[in-house]
Amino acid sequence: MSESMGRRLPVYLVLDCSGSMSGEPIEAVRQGVKALVADLRSDPQALETAFLSVITFSSSAQQVCPLTELMAFQEPNLDASGSTSFGEALKLLEQAIDTEVRKTTPAQKGDWKPLVFIMTDGQATDSWEAHADRIKQKKVGNIIACAAGPGADSAMLKRVTEIVVELNNLQPDTLKAFFKWVSSSIKTTSSSLDQVVADAPVNLPPPPPQIQIVP
Amino acid sequence: MTTAKATLKDGRGMEFVITSDPPAGGMKKTYFTPDRSSVVQFYHDQSTGNDPQRLARLEAILTKYNPTIPESQGGARGVTQVAADYFMKLFCWPTSIVVKPEVGIVAPTYPSSYFFATGQFQGKEKEGRWFSSPKLRKYLPKEELGTWINYLKLCILMARAVRRLHQAGLAHSDLSSRNVLVDPSLGLSVVIDIDSLVVPGLYPPDVLGTPGYIAPEVLATQHLTLRDPNRKHPSAQTDQHALAVLMYEYLLYRHPLGGPKVNSTVSAEEDNRLSFGEKALFVEHPTDNSNRPLDLLIPYTVLGPLLSDLFARTFVKGLHAPNDRPGAIEWERGLVKTWDMLYPCPNPSCTHQWFILHDLSKVRCPFCGTKLPGTIPILKLRKETRPGQWMQDGQLVVYNNISLFPWHAFGNIFPGEEADRTPQAYCVFYGGQWLLINQNLSSLTSPGGNRVPSGQAVALTDGAQIRLSQEPHGRIAEVQLVKN
Repeated sequence: MSESMGRRLPVYLVLDCSGSMSGEPIEAVRQGVKALVADLRSDPQALETAFLSVITFSSSAQQVCPLTELMAFQEPNLDASGSTSFGEALKLLEQAIDTEVRKTTPAQKGDWKPLVFIMTDGQATDSWEAHADRIKQKKVGNIIACAAGPGADSAMLKRVTEIVVELNNLQPDTLKAFFKWVSSSIKTTSSSLDQVVADAPVNLPPPPPQIQIVP
Repeated sequence: MTTAKATLKDGRGMEFVITSDPPAGGMKKTYFTPDRSSVVQFYHDQSTGNDPQRLARLEAILTKYNPTIPESQGGARGVTQVAADYFMKLFCWPTSIVVKPEVGIVAPTYPSSYFFATGQFQGKEKEGRWFSSPKLRKYLPKEELGTWINYLKLCILMARAVRRLHQAGLAHSDLSSRNVLVDPSLGLSVVIDIDSLVVPGLYPPDVLGTPGYIAPEVLATQHLTLRDPNRKHPSAQTDQHALAVLMYEYLLYRHPLGGPKVNSTVSAEEDNRLSFGEKALFVEHPTDNSNRPLDLLIPYTVLGPLLSDLFARTFVKGLHAPNDRPGAIEWERGLVKTWDMLYPCPNPSCTHQWFILHDLSKVRCPFCGTKLPGTIPILKLRKETRPGQWMQDGQLVVYNNISLFPWHAFGNIFPGEEADRTPQAYCVFYGGQWLLINQNLSSLTSPGGNRVPSGQAVALTDGAQIRLSQEPHGRIAEVQLVKN
């Protein structure tokens, strides 16, 4: 492929792996990531452009998978325990985007604006406000945040991004539907890239009934 | 299996299988009939389906613009049974309008060869992108990739399909690697998503098109309001751009505008809009190298003079001047004539296996560099334009077992949808010389003036003039032997 068409669509999954996710929910997240990767691998546009990274957070945050092309992507081991270091996760996300996403310069075609999916089921246990404000102000990417289940805090996520969705519960079917929606959002974005107006929100497919958009 | 019943516009009922998660495209969701021979498609947006303009358009597409039904059975004007059968394979044309439970269409299911039969993508549709992207080609099994000759073949079929649309005044408006499925293992293509066809002046286009295939003038004016007179809409002219992009991709495995030149550092999105719109520049522009990828090794001129001219007219002269773009019929003619210049590469590990032999001073495969052994006969095909005046209007590069068809033997036959495809003669290298062996030509005549009956041969010697037929429009083939 000629170099210019090598423009990548970086996709970051920022996943809450705190103790409250243990048991069925974390298993559903594992299955969700697996299904997401399998689905994207069968879509030519996504396979060509989408690159995937996973950042998890509990008592601390870590990038368990660096930005990797879909065919080389290996699903991370996800375990749930500990607290909810949401602020640290945002800080790590910002750093990862800074180092991994290529910028457009006069000499080089850079990557597309990253697509970020943040999912949490609880409230932050560290200080997060400053990181949230900076991410929102810097517009590091198109961020979709998901408040999963009754314990999640939509207001906290609204401070990070305008696009916040809510899941009623953490049932396997609900999480499955969420990851499927994430997958179709990535597919839509990877095939309509040049119609994305730089500062406008991405055009996402309508979410399934289990997911409500928080106005 | 839960089924539901759709009511068609003509009152018939049609059963379809209800699934919780039907396959969905940009505008429609798809259900199969129980025998999977047809699909029933409904629009995501009910108001799209109920739009009276859309209904009127669907009605016209199914009847007076339909090339897959003979005129005698309500299809488009001039369509014969032979042509209808032919175009049935080139289009996935809708067959009925659904009125209940909501507005939708019925269309035939794509033939099975348009789904991957093996490999990790088994069952997925063969969108063109799989085969034109070097990155994706790496993931495909060898038998799905086919050889290069099949890409030329599917380009002919694609150009012919678009020519048929344009001939009737229709525009597809969204030609792309997603709306033309291909099967390089057999050299086939089929144009899908016919229900969005545009009749110029009658119905406004639905969509801008698909990224990578949108004509520069459409992208450059998309910020204007829909009714602004300066706004450019998808049309037959923008189809001509998209068709050429598809052919450039299938024949060369790269995008004609996707080069390294950066047109904006504001954002990738802004840069892309300019690089494929207002500032679009052909990667192989003859005088401006600024968008040429460093790794571009095989120039488009390897495709021979006819296709080179068509690509230059589309991507150099016509890139920002839509009136200068060649029509689909010119592509069809150019591709058909280029087909007669194909030659098999003798190198068994050549990636392409075939190439266009057009530069007689340098007979080697442009893809692997292999030189050709032996002697290659070229038949210069002449037709009588006025009594006694013979004009060359084609040539045939001869390789072992190549067939001559009616359009080679007669000057008035075009190898289109109606053509008789019975081989008339073939060429072999036998006993140290090249021979033309008659099969079905009634009056093949040797250079010495003797009739050559079916089953008999005439030698292809340098300078020989062979009358392929004495019937009206019968051609003369003059032999040129190219020695290496």
